[in-house]
Amino acid sequence: MGMAAPSQAGLMDAAELAGLVERIGADRDREAFRRLFDHFAPRVRGFLVRRGLPSAQADDLAQDTMLAIWRRAESYDVAKSAVSTWVYTIARNLHIDQYRKLARADRVDLTDPSLRPGEIPAADELYARGQDASAVSEALQTLPEDQRRVLELAFMEGLSHSDIAVRLVLPLGTVKSRIRLAMDKLKLSLGDLQ
Amino acid sequence: MSRRGYFLEQGWYLDHAAGASMSPGQDMLLRSHLEVSVPARAHAVSMARIGGAMLESVEDKGELAFDADDIFALDEAFDAARTPPEPAAAIPAAAVDRPECLPAVLCDFIDREGIKLRWEFLGPGLRKAMLWHGESDERLWLLRARPGVAIPRHGHRGTELTLVLQGSFLDGDQRYVRGDVEEADPGVEHDIQIGEGEECICLALTQGKLRFDDPLLRALQVFTGL
Repeated sequence: MGMAAPSQAGLMDAAELAGLVERIGADRDREAFRRLFDHFAPRVRGFLVRRGLPSAQADDLAQDTMLAIWRRAESYDVAKSAVSTWVYTIARNLHIDQYRKLARADRVDLTDPSLRPGEIPAADELYARGQDASAVSEALQTLPEDQRRVLELAFMEGLSHSDIAVRLVLPLGTVKSRIRLAMDKLKLSLGDLQ
Repeated sequence: MSRRGYFLEQGWYLDHAAGASMSPGQDMLLRSHLEVSVPARAHAVSMARIGGAMLESVEDKGELAFDADDIFALDEAFDAARTPPEPAAAIPAAAVDRPECLPAVLCDFIDREGIKLRWEFLGPGLRKAMLWHGESDERLWLLRARPGVAIPRHGHRGTELTLVLQGSFLDGDQRYVRGDVEEADPGVEHDIQIGEGEECICLALTQGKLRFDDPLLRALQVFTGL
């Protein structure tokens, strides 16, 4: 691994996380799940709290997310996404489902397009995707503060781009152009980002 | 996302990726678009990766109210409570007049909401089926247009989004095919020419009534409801 793991990613790198999910999918490996749980359960809960959920609800949803991971691990495909992207998408869909009053662990939308990108990545891309979260985090750090702020408000606080314009007291067009600039820059730094 | 003008603005993909709340009509149009457009889907995946990276960066200082053993217990309870799946039901009668090009997410929505597709006259060679009507006069509907038909010049009081599901149409010299979305802002006036060869089917999300220049068409709107 040529790339240093970012400090906040902590104990495990992307390949290790992917290995754990694959072991759960193939063998219902409880030990692998415990390790994955230790990594993700606090993060998912913390993420939901940051999104404004009351503590008890964040616990419930984090629990549903972990249950979905345990039950659906065999549908995870390392070639298609990093584990962090997969877990994020499950948590997001459960969160959305909840405010649509449909929440149930067996109803996670596995047809979500984010879970099945269109192209099969080339072999040398697998390495890049395996590095996913850390590479993306590093690229995010290189963004100008005003662009990164827009992405943080969207993902961390769940604000729509028009809410972000209101929050930052900016014209909607300015927010749109910051999103566009940020995505263009991320694609340049990450190469395989389409 | 190389063909400019065939995709939605970035804010849409970000709102979807970040799970911001949107109306059922907006959500359906966006998810249908993602299902049928490979480049748009790749873009959505890029955005989800940002979410994954942000999730990794979260530090939680709170105490978890459950542990891994609770998950195993829930899992067993879940299996125990589960009733065997019902045998696949026959295709409901409502599905008969459902075009094959409809994305799966849209079919699910139609089934879940119990919507019956009623194809109504919209104009010569044009039929519409209303799917959803929300606040601030937002409407999600399907359009079927005979090959070669022209949709007369019209404007909009709000945004109009049109996703091509089958066939094609021309707006000026831009040609839209399956997966493409045309985003027309309020005030934009355009006329549309349906492509030759194949019936064109689109999913449209409009806000407010369409404004036709032709007084006869305006009179006709009383009957067509758009």
